[in-house]
Order: sequence, then C-alpha cells, then structure tokens
Amino acid sequence: MMVDFFIGLFLASLITAIFTTRLFRLLLWYSFNSLTLGILALLIGFKIDDGAMIITGIVTIIIKAVAIPYFLKSFSQKFHFVRQITPNVQTHHAIMLVPAILVFTFYLSQPVTNMMSGNTNYVAVSISSLFLSLMLMMEHKNVAPKIIGFLSIENSLFLLGITATNGMPMLVELGIFFDLLMAIIVINLLFHREGFQGAKDA
Amino acid sequence: MIAYIFTIVVLLLIAPLLLSFIKSLKMFLLFKRPASLLQGYRNFSKLMHKETIISKEASSITRYAPFLVLSPLLVIMFFLPPVVHGAFYVSFVDAFTITGLIALSTFFLMLLGLDSASAFGGMGSSREAFISALVEPAMVLTVFSVSMMAGDLGVAQAAVNLSEHFPKEHMASFLFAGISFFILLLAENGRIPIDNPETHLELTMVHEAMILDITGVYLAIIETAASVKFVIFASLFVSLFIPFGLQFSVPIAIAIFIVKLFAVAFVVGFLEVNMAKLRLFKVPNLLGIAIVFAFLSLITFYVLGA
Repeated sequence: MMVDFFIGLFLASLITAIFTTRLFRLLLWYSFNSLTLGILALLIGFKIDDGAMIITGIVTIIIKAVAIPYFLKSFSQKFHFVRQITPNVQTHHAIMLVPAILVFTFYLSQPVTNMMSGNTNYVAVSISSLFLSLMLMMEHKNVAPKIIGFLSIENSLFLLGITATNGMPMLVELGIFFDLLMAIIVINLLFHREGFQGAKDA
Repeated sequence: MIAYIFTIVVLLLIAPLLLSFIKSLKMFLLFKRPASLLQGYRNFSKLMHKETIISKEASSITRYAPFLVLSPLLVIMFFLPPVVHGAFYVSFVDAFTITGLIALSTFFLMLLGLDSASAFGGMGSSREAFISALVEPAMVLTVFSVSMMAGDLGVAQAAVNLSEHFPKEHMASFLFAGISFFILLLAENGRIPIDNPETHLELTMVHEAMILDITGVYLAIIETAASVKFVIFASLFVSLFIPFGLQFSVPIAIAIFIVKLFAVAFVVGFLEVNMAKLRLFKVPNLLGIAIVFAFLSLITFYVLGA
C-alpha cells in the first residue's frame, strides 16, 4: 500500500517537473522525486530484508535528494544562469501530450509485464517515467533542465531496477552512483562553458 | 436524523469561521497581528444592519440573484456525504448533479456581475466564466475516478464505501485524484494561485469584481455563499480523500470531521502565504495540470489497477 502511494508521488513529481518554468523549482521537484525513490528503496528493502538495498536507499537520499540539487543550485548561482526556463513545448500541448505518453507506455509495457510475476505496475510506471523524462529533456533549450532530464532518466531506470528485479547486486548500484558523480563533474565543465558564453553574450 | 440536521447546522455555522481562520492564519504567518476568528460573523451582522442600495441601472435580476446564488449551494449541503457511521440519509446524487448545482450558482453570480453595467462587473464575470468552464471537466473526471474506486456512482455512498473499505490497492490513482481535487478546491473558491480574495486591484480581481456594486443584505448573502462553497468543497475533499474516523460515536465523529476541515483550511492558508498569484493567462495551465492528474488517475486505475 505505501509502495503504491510513493510510486504515485514519484510519477506526480515528475509530471509537475515537466510543467515547471523556474529552474530552482525544477531542482526542488527533482529532489522530491529522488526522495520518494529513496523511500521506495528503503520500503522494498525492508520488505524483502535486503541489506544492500537499504544502503542504496540511504545513499540515494543523501546523494540524489540533497547533494546533487544543492550542487546544481550553487553552480547555477555561480555562473549566473537564466532561472526562467520556458519549455519549447507549450503547456496546452503538453496537457495533451503527457496523458498520451502515459496511455501509450502503460499499454506498451503490458507484453513485458505479462512475462513477470508480481510488481507489474512498477515496471509500467518506471517505463512511463522514462519517457516523461525524455520529454523533459526534449522540451528545454538550456543545459540545466536538460541535465535534470538526464538525472530523471537515471531515476526511472533505478526504479525499474529496484522494483523489477528484487534488488540488483550492490556493486552495480554503487558503480552507477560513481558514474553519476563523474557525470556531475562533466556537467560542471559544461556549465563553465555555458556560463562563459553567457558572459560573452552579455 | 438528529445527527444529520445537527451536522448541516454546524457546517453552516462554522462556514464563516473557516474563512476567517484562513485569514488570521495568513496574518499570523506574515507576522501581523491576526484578525479575530469571529470577524466573519461580525462582518455578517454589520452588513445585515446596513442600508441596501441598488444601482439605478440594475434590473430586477440584482434583487433575485443573491438568493439564487445561495440556494443551490444550500441544496448541496443536504446532499453532502455523511460524517457519521450508519447515517440517517445517504444521498444518491452523483458528480454531474453537484457540478451542475455549483454551475447554476456561478451562473447567477455572473449575471449579478453583468447586471449593474459597470466595467468591473463584466470583466469579473467573463473571468469567472473562463475559470469555471475549465474547472468542470476536471471535477467530473476526478469524482468519477473516485467513484470508480469506491464502487458507487453516488458521491455520498462512495464516501461511505471508502470509509469502510479504504482502497489500499489503488493508492496511486487515489493520490492523483486527491491532487487534482485539491487544485479544483483552490480554483473554485478563488484562493490565491487563481484569484486573490483580499485585493481590490483591477488586474487581479475575479470574485470581488463581480460583487463590487452590491451592498447590505445582498452582500451578506453573497459572502455567506462564498463561505458555504468553501465548506462544501472542503467537506467533499475530506470525506472522499481522508475517509477516516466515521466509526466512532456520533459526537466524536463530528468533532473529528470538523478538525479535518480545519486541517484543510490550514493547508490552504499555508499555501497562500507561500505562493504568488498566477497571471490570468497562466490559470489554464494550472487547471490543465488538474485535468492531467484526473485523467491519469482514471487510466492508472483502468490499465494498471494501481
């Protein structure tokens, strides 16, 4: 029951992030999204009594819900980013597009879920959130929201990992976290470049 | 029977109290000295004693409309979901009836705004028509989705079913419906992201613009109607989405219900302090999000069963 509730919150925060037009609010929704993901990992970890998944849940909350949004916020303040991020897809088009994506992916995942036993909803939700975060990447021109879209893709893959497989090996998950930290460093360089160009344009 | 009538009377009595509670909560959070909780009743009695002046351009509609604004809402009060277990009367009305009655009340409010032939009234009426036209589809979708989970089309019976058998297996779609209904609650009552109930600024008024020209008893009736509308939405929200505490004995159940109403008012007031009012042309976006969530709730229920 609680797992269903947090899956709902996960999807809801992602949809709200798609409609957001302010950078810091977007970071807040991303942080909330990761927080629900971490709580989900903890809940499932306690349910199947998997110590590794509990550790991953705690690490998720610390890194994704607190550290990454904080660093992105301080970077964007340091490089004076444009904080008003208007999506290329207009909201009244997105209102039609988002339910269409959801219906499409819910039906798309049915052949996959027919092969599985238990937790079938979670696979559908994670595939649909994958597509929604792709849309979040597509609809923005600036770098910062594109990065949030990338991180949300990572989140939805993580959700797929914890719900569909009853826990990946710990080593893989920690490897993913290190990958993510590397990505953040690369992103920092990108920010540097964009901030430099922005300074030149201004 | 006694509990049924007592509940309606109590709801009518605490209606002005809830709105003044929101107001004083906001003032408290902004470090102002909060207004008294009884301010709503004071305003009502002050307006009842005032002389009623009607604009000389106004037709007879101004004389009828305030009563026709209030009466559909009073009718809904009798059809609200019961707050106690084994209630005397469980109404049969569904989402269409409730939205229709609210739309009837809004229609006469818009006529009242147009009738005095002032520029403000027409502007307010057109904005109100715009907002309420966007609210209705989302409202019908949301209530139907909840009815689907509860297994009954009647709103009151659905609330009773939900309290007896909470939809644990449908938590995700239940959550989406709750988010959608909360946005509608803010929109229909003219709270801050949609409309600011406190200003008299030309750019921001919706509800205030329509009632700018009326005074005295008629204004008292319209303000009562506004507070009754808030109570209706809050108690629908409470009995559909927080359906706990009905199984206790009658006085405790009613007390729990009132506490939940105040909790909803607290959340609304807290949001109002932390939010800026949306530009009027951004309002369809917010209501579009409400429609997305209502639709999402339906398809999650149908396709995934979650």
